[in-house]
Amino acid sequence: MASPIDAATFANLLDMTGGDQAFVDELVDTYLEEGERLVAGLRAAAAAGSIAELVRPAHSLKSSSLNVGALELGELCRALEEEARGGAVPDPVARADAIGAAFAAANEALLQERASR
Amino acid sequence: MTPPAADGTIRPGRILVVDDTAFNRQLLARLLTGIGHEAVEAENGRQALDRLRAANEPPIDVILLDIVMPEMDGYEVLAALRDDPALRHIPVIVISGVEELDSVVRCLEMGAADYLPKTVNPAILEARIASSLARKRLHDAEREAVDRQSATNEVLAIMSRSAFDLQVVLDAVVRAAIRLCRADYGVAYVLDGDAYRVAASAGGTPELDHWERDHPISPGRDSVVGRIAILGEAIQIEDVLADREYLATPGQRAGHYRTILGVPIQQDGTISGVLALTRNEVEPFANPEKALATGFAEQAAIGVANARLLETIERQRGQLARFLSPQVASLVSSPDGEALLAGHRREITAMFCDLRNFTTFSETAEPEEVLGFLRRYHATVGGLVVDHEGTLEHFAGDGLMVFFNDPELQEDHAARAVRLAVAIRERFIEISEEWRRRGHVLQVGMGIATGYATMGRIGFEGRYDYGGVGNAIILASRLSSDAAAGEILISQRTFFALDGAVPAEPAGERMLKGFSRPMEVYAVEPSERAAEVS
Repeated sequence: MASPIDAATFANLLDMTGGDQAFVDELVDTYLEEGERLVAGLRAAAAAGSIAELVRPAHSLKSSSLNVGALELGELCRALEEEARGGAVPDPVARADAIGAAFAAANEALLQERASR
Repeated sequence: MTPPAADGTIRPGRILVVDDTAFNRQLLARLLTGIGHEAVEAENGRQALDRLRAANEPPIDVILLDIVMPEMDGYEVLAALRDDPALRHIPVIVISGVEELDSVVRCLEMGAADYLPKTVNPAILEARIASSLARKRLHDAEREAVDRQSATNEVLAIMSRSAFDLQVVLDAVVRAAIRLCRADYGVAYVLDGDAYRVAASAGGTPELDHWERDHPISPGRDSVVGRIAILGEAIQIEDVLADREYLATPGQRAGHYRTILGVPIQQDGTISGVLALTRNEVEPFANPEKALATGFAEQAAIGVANARLLETIERQRGQLARFLSPQVASLVSSPDGEALLAGHRREITAMFCDLRNFTTFSETAEPEEVLGFLRRYHATVGGLVVDHEGTLEHFAGDGLMVFFNDPELQEDHAARAVRLAVAIRERFIEISEEWRRRGHVLQVGMGIATGYATMGRIGFEGRYDYGGVGNAIILASRLSSDAAAGEILISQRTFFALDGAVPAEPAGERMLKGFSRPMEVYAVEPSERAAEVS
């Protein structure tokens, strides 16, 4: 199974900041903390069946995930955001769970990457 | 690449990153600082507007704006910016996902300058920021130019309104210089004797201002003003604390200024003052600011020159007044003087005064005595003429002619002339007292007439008098000759113009030399004292 984190995108982050590893670590921490909150937000909105409230967390998690290299997670968020904007998400709880699982995988992969250094 | 400024140095921008996602803000801010800009962050539209409107923060050059945000989204921010004249010129770059092109179009329609994909690409970010910054800089430069122009116009307008009021001009110059050269304190010093004194100042603490006003500056290396006095050119001290020769330290301690720029206020190479500007931080004045300060110093120089010119005119007028009547002296130096001197027709009241028995007196008294008497008579009568604001036309030996209502208009000219005559008659009694006791009966006779005359410069190049030609003047002269000792004869027209202001009574009809028919004449009632003497 491919890593949930796209190595090239992730390497690019370090590259863009001129190899500032400490900054990238800090950025990843921000991503994980914020991601945690956004996933919780998605789950809550899904459980309550408020489709409109799925848009913003999905939107936010999408952009940061794509930038950090969690491409699959980003794609899940993009699809959910689009459908939520359309107003119809057939099984919101299952979609939120899928995103939660993808986030957990990305989380683990990012921490592993750090531990491997 | 950050756009190079006109002088070739890199000019970083201050960029506001507005995004509700901390990850995005952090990443963008890091990338912006990496290419030399300053990044400021806001979590939503509300916070962004608060930062943009904060009075105590330096201005934002470019806004990076996310669209989907809580509290206040990107569209609302764009609408608010469009409605705020102070903010609408700041370029906005919308951050948007590739699939959100519809929103991008909407943002561009709402005034956004550009857009940036959500998946950050540093090269694209740098290029977009550079182009928006260039746009902002162009706008700033235009606005600055307009600002400078309007400040210069303001000073010019003040100068044309109050060209001769040096204080008003210098105050305006100092205020404008502080504003446009971004100085904390500004002073215009004017050379007074051999020291430079504060003539106008603005922006400083009261302590600094007092110190400056109490300490005129002499030429010397120990101060900026002193150095300019020696060198004659603009001087900047980037940090007074680092300048060993700079010794104007009590003022510095009172004001805490660090950088000083001084430019000479000069005209035709002569320094008449110094315009000094200070900053409380070590921040040298740039070339455009020096050029502005020089421009303001030139305006101050015109103000100083005008004020000096005015002083000269006042002094000349003062000297002139010793030879001419004050009215004529001020006429010579007044703007409409030339037109009045050229000749004009006006109703005047003329008064002639002659001494009776003067010929006998001058034949029998010693010449020194005659001159002594004349000096006293002239001084007394001259003073009365000035008191009554008459225009003295001539003063010859024992006679004099005065007219009223010209060059200065005097509604009550007839009454003034008659009152002057009465006053002369009264005072003459005192002057002639001593001579009367010695057997010389000296008396005055006066004639007054009102009518039109042509007034202006009479004479020839090198010897001009201010005088008039007209029947009223001839009539006044004839009445004066016809008057008995102590008598004041006035023409019918003067009598009616008096309208009872001074009591007078008919004195019959008289045939006067040069007039074909008899003239109705009136006599001003003698005062008790005058009546008693005659």
